[in-house]
Amino acid sequence: MSTTLPIRRSIGRAASNCLSTRPSRSLHPSPSSLIPLYHHPHHPSTQQRRHEATARRLTKKHRVPAAPAFANTTQPQDHIIYNPPSSAPNVYHTPLKFLPKSDRRRELLLAQQRAAQAAAAAYKPSSPFSTASPAASALASLSASAGTEAAPTPRLPPPVRAPYEKKYHLTPPQLDEMRKLRARDPRKWTRVKLAEKFECSQFFVSLVCQAPQIKAERDAELENIKKRWGRQKTMAREDRVKRKESWGRDA
Amino acid sequence: MKRARIERWGSQLLQSRPQGTRPQCLYQQPQHPQPHNHRPQWHWQAVRAQSTTSTPLSSPSRRPPPASHAPRIPRESLPSPPLSAARSSAKLSALHARLSLPSRLPLETLARALIDPSADPNPDLNNASLALLGQDLLGYYTAEHLLAHYPRLPQTVLYAAQYAYVGGKTLAAVTREWGVEAAAEPGGEVDPGLLQFKRVKPGTDISGAAAGETIGPDGVNRSQWRLGMGMRNVSGDEFGDINASGLDAAAGVTLEDASKTFVRALVGAVYLHCGQLSTKRFYASHFLSRQLDLSTLFAFRTPTRDLSRLCAREGFEAPVARLLSETGRLSRHPVFVVGVYSGPDKLGEGAGASLDEARTRAAAAALKSWYLYSPEEVTVPSEAEGKGDQGKRWVPCMVDCGEVIA
Repeated sequence: MSTTLPIRRSIGRAASNCLSTRPSRSLHPSPSSLIPLYHHPHHPSTQQRRHEATARRLTKKHRVPAAPAFANTTQPQDHIIYNPPSSAPNVYHTPLKFLPKSDRRRELLLAQQRAAQAAAAAYKPSSPFSTASPAASALASLSASAGTEAAPTPRLPPPVRAPYEKKYHLTPPQLDEMRKLRARDPRKWTRVKLAEKFECSQFFVSLVCQAPQIKAERDAELENIKKRWGRQKTMAREDRVKRKESWGRDA
Repeated sequence: MKRARIERWGSQLLQSRPQGTRPQCLYQQPQHPQPHNHRPQWHWQAVRAQSTTSTPLSSPSRRPPPASHAPRIPRESLPSPPLSAARSSAKLSALHARLSLPSRLPLETLARALIDPSADPNPDLNNASLALLGQDLLGYYTAEHLLAHYPRLPQTVLYAAQYAYVGGKTLAAVTREWGVEAAAEPGGEVDPGLLQFKRVKPGTDISGAAAGETIGPDGVNRSQWRLGMGMRNVSGDEFGDINASGLDAAAGVTLEDASKTFVRALVGAVYLHCGQLSTKRFYASHFLSRQLDLSTLFAFRTPTRDLSRLCAREGFEAPVARLLSETGRLSRHPVFVVGVYSGPDKLGEGAGASLDEARTRAAAAALKSWYLYSPEEVTVPSEAEGKGDQGKRWVPCMVDCGEVIA
């Protein structure tokens, strides 16, 4: 969650404080105090070391603001507090965007989203470091793509990779030139070079032109390298392939 | 909707016919050197087959001839227990009661459903014809349930789900759960409450025989070829499998195959004797009640590319993976939680030990939530069958434009 980022920063700060002050603060300097304790491989410190930084960090960590579902308890009638633990969404709950136009659940979900957005806007967190509450930001990020006019642009989480637009800028003569270059000197005009020259992806270059003789050479080279692998390395590589296959299977 | 009158055909199927005009059973019978030499008296056999119908033998002309007319045949010489033994079998009555079968289903038909073609090759006495009907009914009910409730399922997942509901292994498990025991060897003296089938000899290559050696006209063995989806759709069965049933019944069958045939035959028998409503109830309580998590049947090879294609096809913004949260990025066990967004809307979420893993899992989750869409109110075709008040009002099902092909 986004709250972890400030905590991580504070951990780093606390840790750097400890490291810088530890040798001077040690109460009983041992004969080998010339070497800092945390660098000594065979004599780990057995005394308890308690620092203010740790205590304060934990105190701060435990000071969690109440969830927005618990905030409003002044309702006149009995009501249910719905505050489930965070978990991956159920794949059987179709997202709003995937619902067909005729499905009545669209309106329900839209109304729910509007209510959540209003609640997130009205919610004032008490603690300063939870301003970007994950629930609130997630709720705010849900938008009504289907029909709400002029919804305020929500703050979305940062993208994993820099988003890019496909350009579709290459013309048939340029593709011919690419093929010609690759066929003339496949060692000089590799996929990387061609991708740089034509400002496209390497995958696209591989779609346009291939160099089978280079591929055969590379495969033979790789086979030679694999022959030198031992049992452990071979198994580890096979396991890695299997793990990667499982990403698309048991997500 | 107009209803297919299968029971009319079924009643024809159950009645006995004269020897000369006996139609070929749909089940391929192995040719025996001495056909039916164990039944010398034709009229006696006709009466035995007649008693498989549900109606009591009312007309005097159909009453079995007195025992003095027919010579006593020792039961040991019969290939399967006679139908007259069904009334005296405690196992059979117990099975009938345990399954809460309708009282209109007579014990004799239940006994017939337990006789595999490998035990008794006579199509009037074994369960081959009932099993054929039951197989189609099970396939029909399962397919309409899956297609109506999950209209976007890809074809491979649909086949896998069909197999999970009414495939051979499931039906064998159902037989075990029902407490049906198998006879060690079929025979006339065996209790008719046991599953009668001839076991395949140990050491027989079942897998090769079950796959079927498909040698083409050019002499190429195609049994090892991987089947494309088009081939599976056109010439496969309800599970998309093409099995030429290379194993002939005379050589024996496995317990799984015999159990499968029995369950199918029982469904067919319930349909013939008790009608569609009872069959649907029977199906719902024994097959549809089994839990199947459809989301475990998916296997995406390139989920991110598939999701991009889907968004392009449906006119959504291109999917963007966004980092929702993370912990321990510099540690040995980091965890990243990534959501896939199309514009401002989140489509799926996944967690992984690397950014790539989390991104891929999130895309796979988004694809699953697309494919596993289920409409709110569904009317399956078989519910709307029947005249007047019997059937529900027909509301057309949703038909999806198809899976994503990347």
